[in-house]
Amino acid sequence: MTNVNQNEVVIESQSITVKIQNSTILSDLNFKVAKGEIYALLGGNGAGKSSTLKTFLGFNTPTSGRAIIDGRDVSQSLDMARSKTAYLPENATLYPHLTAKENVEYFLSLADINKSLEDIEAAFERVALQKDAWERQLQTYSKGMRQKTAISLAILREAPIFLLDEPTSGLDPVAIDEFNFLVKELASSGSTILMVTHDVYGACQVANRIGLLRAGELVGEFEAQDNHRIDTEQVHAAFAQRQSS
Amino acid sequence: MMRQINREWRFMLRQRYVMVILLCSFLVSTFSVTTGLSEVNAQRQTIERLKQADIIDRTKAQAKYDDAGSLAYYSFHLVYSEPSNLAFAALGERDVYPWKHRIRMLALEGQIYESDAQNAELAQAGKIDFAFVISVLSPFFLILLFHDLIASERASGRHNLLVTTAKSVYALWGARAAVRFGAIFLCVLLPFYIGAAISDAALGAVLQITLWCFLYFAFWTALSIYLGRNANSAPRIASALIGLWALFAFVIPILGDLTIEQSIQAPKGSDILLTQREAVNDAWDLPVETTMEAFVAKHPEYKNDTNVEGGFEWKWYYAFQQVGDQVAAPISKEYRAAAHKKHDLAGYVSFFAPPMLIQRKMAEIAQTDAVAAFEYEQNIRDFHKSLRLFYYPWLFRHDEFDKSQLNLMPQFEQTLINSKN
Repeated sequence: MTNVNQNEVVIESQSITVKIQNSTILSDLNFKVAKGEIYALLGGNGAGKSSTLKTFLGFNTPTSGRAIIDGRDVSQSLDMARSKTAYLPENATLYPHLTAKENVEYFLSLADINKSLEDIEAAFERVALQKDAWERQLQTYSKGMRQKTAISLAILREAPIFLLDEPTSGLDPVAIDEFNFLVKELASSGSTILMVTHDVYGACQVANRIGLLRAGELVGEFEAQDNHRIDTEQVHAAFAQRQSS
Repeated sequence: MMRQINREWRFMLRQRYVMVILLCSFLVSTFSVTTGLSEVNAQRQTIERLKQADIIDRTKAQAKYDDAGSLAYYSFHLVYSEPSNLAFAALGERDVYPWKHRIRMLALEGQIYESDAQNAELAQAGKIDFAFVISVLSPFFLILLFHDLIASERASGRHNLLVTTAKSVYALWGARAAVRFGAIFLCVLLPFYIGAAISDAALGAVLQITLWCFLYFAFWTALSIYLGRNANSAPRIASALIGLWALFAFVIPILGDLTIEQSIQAPKGSDILLTQREAVNDAWDLPVETTMEAFVAKHPEYKNDTNVEGGFEWKWYYAFQQVGDQVAAPISKEYRAAAHKKHDLAGYVSFFAPPMLIQRKMAEIAQTDAVAAFEYEQNIRDFHKSLRLFYYPWLFRHDEFDKSQLNLMPQFEQTLINSKN
């Protein structure tokens, strides 16, 4: 496991094992994510990527080990963990009968956060959501536009931690580039990002570190060196090898 | 909390299917209250009309006949059970048990039960009154509103986002459930409150019904949310809840009713009528002394006035009318005891069938249940007794009869536990 300055660790998986109905979903999973870092958990279908996020969100309870958010055990401080976390599900299904503004207002109200209309519009502009779409119902949106709306919500929540579940799945290349740019911008402003994906290229594009997940186990880690991106070829080879072994 | 409620209220207003359910519940409730008010109004008008006709009939009889025996024989008396002010909400057993009779000073038991072709407890036909809407239809609306409260969010992929975004799960599901609960409660109860105001129903009784409805709605809401809390498939939850609804609203009451009917053997109203009529008809062929002995056993004050001269005297006739009641008394008592027992047993069954329980409670509060019907029957017996005690001195002692004394004739007065209800 890559060394991370313990003082800056915001997300930590401490030997997490999750068993559901005698099936081991995660097995002795260990990794740390420091403040301002983008950590991508890479794996194929059923590798345990989404289960890892669900564990940090408190939907899965570890059979052993601990999921730590900002120094506190999620299972014991669930409300705190969730208040510090902005979660972006794979299919950012907001309410289709509401407009982007109404959706964001509704979810912010759920989080008991007050934001002005100007703040909301600024967030929409930041994620490059077209202005003419702000007052349209989400049922007319493309997936990329829904994703942007959900990201603007995450931004408005000002949560220091982002948990992203397959965030670029189904997006077109332009939207992926826009998304990656935005994620990097968030990280550079101090946000900590844990994303799970099966997209090797996308993970190498955006992540500082990549954890390779297979059958619930962390089988490898890759780290960007000296402001260079993680070597896609290297990760791809490892990914393919692990998948076939 | 108000902020959460306000948010969910505005959110609910944007959900078309929720608004349609609320509108339907309001319309059905309004319909039931309107028909209830109309039915009660019709019953009151019938009573008023019969009261007028009753006075005219009796006045004619009093003008035509001069002796006490003929007057007692030809005078009819209207007895009735006026619907309470809350009867519009729960018509209860008023379409099972008769609520009006025209009686004479003849043998009574047959007169009470002559319209009772079958044991009244067997008749369980439903009515579209407010109690029916509450007990049977409102669970449907509640199931529709609450079965997919969580499951629909899970199915659409929003659940985790909602839960992780909400400050607390109670602020989310609690506020959402509270708003829907309040909205449907208002939609269903508002027509009832308007009906209660029109009927001048007692506030205490209205509050009692409100409390029972609240508990009943809370039961179905909690059940719907509880069953749907971990499920992904809303139709599966709905099916399970509809199954429970059918179990509680139909299967348990019907099985309970069948079991009660099987376990309690009771005479029918027609048995009472037949027994009493046979006793009266047989009396014509019995020696006068036999009838008078049986009569005096109940009225020893006339033991020296039993002599009948000639072939016919009214006192003999009225004596065997009363003896007819005395002969029918055991079977009538058995009938009433069985009816009471069935009512009590149905009460125990209702603990396992919430729709039945709330219907019974509402009928009890509105005084339209079987107990109110039993009380009305007792009112009739008491009135009939007062009539007999009024006429007997003239019939048995041949006291001097003056028609002006008819002004002192007892009048039927309905007694209700709480006449305001």
